[in-house]
Amino acid sequence: MLAFIIRRVLQSILVLLIVGLTAFSMFRFVGDPIDNMLGQERTAADIERLREQLGLDQGFPVQYYKFLTEAAHGNFGVSYRQGRPVAEILLERAPATLELAAVSGILAIAFGIAFGVFTAIRRNGVLANVIMSASLIGVSLPTFLIGILLIYIFSVELGWLPSFGRGETVQIGNWSTGLLTASGLKALVLPSITLGLYQMTLIMRLVRSEMLEVLRQDYIRFARARGLRDRVINFRHALKNTMVPVITVIGLQVGAIIAFAIITETVFQWPGVGLLFINAVQFVDIPVMAAYLMLISVMFVGINLIVDILYFFIDPRLRVDRAGGH
Amino acid sequence: MLRNFSYAALFAVLTPAAFAEDFKWAVTTDPQTLDPHAVNSAPVLGFLNNVYEGLVRRGQDMAIEPALATSWEAIGAGEGWRFNLRQGVTFQNGAAFTAQDVLFSYERASSEAADTRSWFAPVSGVVVVDDYTVDIMTTSPNPIFPDSIANWMIMDSDWAQSNDAGRPDKEAGNHATLNTNGTGAFAITNREPGLRTVLEPHNNWWGDATHNITRAELTPIQNPATALAALLSGDVDFINPVPVQDVARLQNDPNVNVIQGIEARVIMLGFPHEAEALKYSSETTDANPFADARVRRAVAHAVNVPAILQTTMRGNAQAVNQLVSPAMRGYSDVLGGNAAFDQDAARALLAEAGYADGFSFGLKCPNNRYLNDEAVCQAITAMLAQVGMRATLDAMPVQNYWPELRADNYDMYLLGWSPGTFDAEHPVRFLAATPNEEKKLGSWNFGGYSNDRVDALLPMIQSEIDETKRQAMLDEVAQTLQDETAYVPLYVQPLVWGTRSNIELVQRPDNFFILRWVTVN
Repeated sequence: MLAFIIRRVLQSILVLLIVGLTAFSMFRFVGDPIDNMLGQERTAADIERLREQLGLDQGFPVQYYKFLTEAAHGNFGVSYRQGRPVAEILLERAPATLELAAVSGILAIAFGIAFGVFTAIRRNGVLANVIMSASLIGVSLPTFLIGILLIYIFSVELGWLPSFGRGETVQIGNWSTGLLTASGLKALVLPSITLGLYQMTLIMRLVRSEMLEVLRQDYIRFARARGLRDRVINFRHALKNTMVPVITVIGLQVGAIIAFAIITETVFQWPGVGLLFINAVQFVDIPVMAAYLMLISVMFVGINLIVDILYFFIDPRLRVDRAGGH
Repeated sequence: MLRNFSYAALFAVLTPAAFAEDFKWAVTTDPQTLDPHAVNSAPVLGFLNNVYEGLVRRGQDMAIEPALATSWEAIGAGEGWRFNLRQGVTFQNGAAFTAQDVLFSYERASSEAADTRSWFAPVSGVVVVDDYTVDIMTTSPNPIFPDSIANWMIMDSDWAQSNDAGRPDKEAGNHATLNTNGTGAFAITNREPGLRTVLEPHNNWWGDATHNITRAELTPIQNPATALAALLSGDVDFINPVPVQDVARLQNDPNVNVIQGIEARVIMLGFPHEAEALKYSSETTDANPFADARVRRAVAHAVNVPAILQTTMRGNAQAVNQLVSPAMRGYSDVLGGNAAFDQDAARALLAEAGYADGFSFGLKCPNNRYLNDEAVCQAITAMLAQVGMRATLDAMPVQNYWPELRADNYDMYLLGWSPGTFDAEHPVRFLAATPNEEKKLGSWNFGGYSNDRVDALLPMIQSEIDETKRQAMLDEVAQTLQDETAYVPLYVQPLVWGTRSNIELVQRPDNFFILRWVTVN
């Protein structure tokens, strides 16, 4: 067990290093930050001076090495655009993304499982078919289009919900939350639906097919023959047995929700780290891009590590296999 | 009276912010700093004009008018300028404004760390005569000096120094990056970079407030569709810009107004004057056709500017025949119109220059810098192909574009120029003067255009006090540039703002949004 974890951690570190190296080798294709930082009246000498000052005149392996050594000391540099420490900016923006991801994740899981079970049980019902057809929208329409569509309907035409932003937020220590104000909650509705829709349909379709599979099993037939009530059969026996693959997928999708929040955040001007990253790309704000990419890869690597470890606990076969050593 | 007053005060305290005249607006780019001397860019200076003030400011018609100085006059035969300062002005923290603040702001804005340094290149020194008189000495007579410092904002010296912000710090930031203390009509009460910036009126402002705003909030919204939705749903009262393709639709909506004007920015085509040969040609690899004025002239004849304006810009822009827009000081009225759209003339000129069969070349273009820039370049590519100039278009984001131009990787390029001083001398200095690093001339003259007469006229224009003589020289330069087709000026970029229909405001050609000219009905 311990050896397994150590091995995975070492692998994770290697993955992180490679991600960083790739990121840094890409940065020079993103463009040159100098022109954004200097005004119209810059001279060639100003350009050279700033380039030297920022270390942009060096090759990317050198820049990468410098970034790593600084990052190891907890220093992610200063944003070219905002002139503030990157770590400070990321911490300031993280709550917005995490709250959005949490709310859309919960929505996706709750509705995904509920709809999945419903469409499996009432396989031939009209409503179930309507839900199944509608879910095609979730998997086939791109996120930005869904976002714009929702804004058009609920903000522009109906005027029920705000079209952008996070509403009013309350500061609790370092954490700014939009969950405690009415406008903050209203502002969460459209972005979290936009972000969670794909995941919801994914979970729903997965639950449905697993459920259909399980409902065909002998033990379900046997349970029916015993005269157990439908609710007990469906939820206690069938659903429980469909959950193992569903949990795996949910685990992997958590990372995706946070990483893919970029598009939703851009459409809704949601002030999270995704929007920060997009702005950084446009401005060629290399310290912010580097820190964000490292953060996201740490997160993905971390989630995968946890999922791997969870398998160890959830699936007894895996444990026996390893312990048995045959 | 006293009773009324206290009722009013009570009311002001009890009324929630939402009932007051709240004004919200959205822009594409958040001002990256609140330090008026750290970054010389339009989003920063335009926004900070609401908070800080200079000795002079620009009015609704762009003319210079008194601000912190009530009057100014040239000293002697042009040794400098004397500014008489306004008395009784207070900063937003209550400190009094004096000549010391002017001296300090000069030192701060002209320091090595300041982006605004070049504004003070002609200045040899600043002398405080008394508390309300300042002499700014110049190395040579400088007629447009007051014009050139309209965006030089005065900061409170005690406030800056006691907060360790005596010099701007662009790289790491300091107190003045996130906080302000100006004399302007509005004070910033909350600043969350990239999220929102809240302003409230400065109660002790020296001027007569004509606006009725009690609270204003700026939000950056990058996605144009989101900004438009925010305007349509009433979440914001004003957006800048409105995408030109949405103008027609907005004009049909009774809840919003579209305000159109022309900006100070002229869009033009530039050429590699000095290059030995084309870089991206498949056959003309040993010659540079664009070094020949006839070929450049042919380009001017081949590009159908009215068609571009009508289709790509949807009728929102205006053709121009020189490097500045008509709203700028020193615009040349005597200059003839542009080369007319005439494909036969273009072909004849090409044949005369020895390119009867045309040639192929590479056109470089940004795709996120100017309004519809890539679409305009596509149109130009098609138009040039009709007379035999076969361009390969390479459009790229602006952050990749400038390095390419600096590395001379182009055969023709698209450039937009907005003169920081709003004067016709500005593009001559940056685009037409022979590049000279030491004298800081021609720093955006990528193609290395060089004309001795233009180089000789520039310093004379810069130091000529007499308006008529100065204009005559500017006319001569404009005429020379047109005769030689140094650039092909195309059009002045439009300004398209959108507001809710209950908002009245003033659009200034420099695209600065001035909050004190807003009325919420």
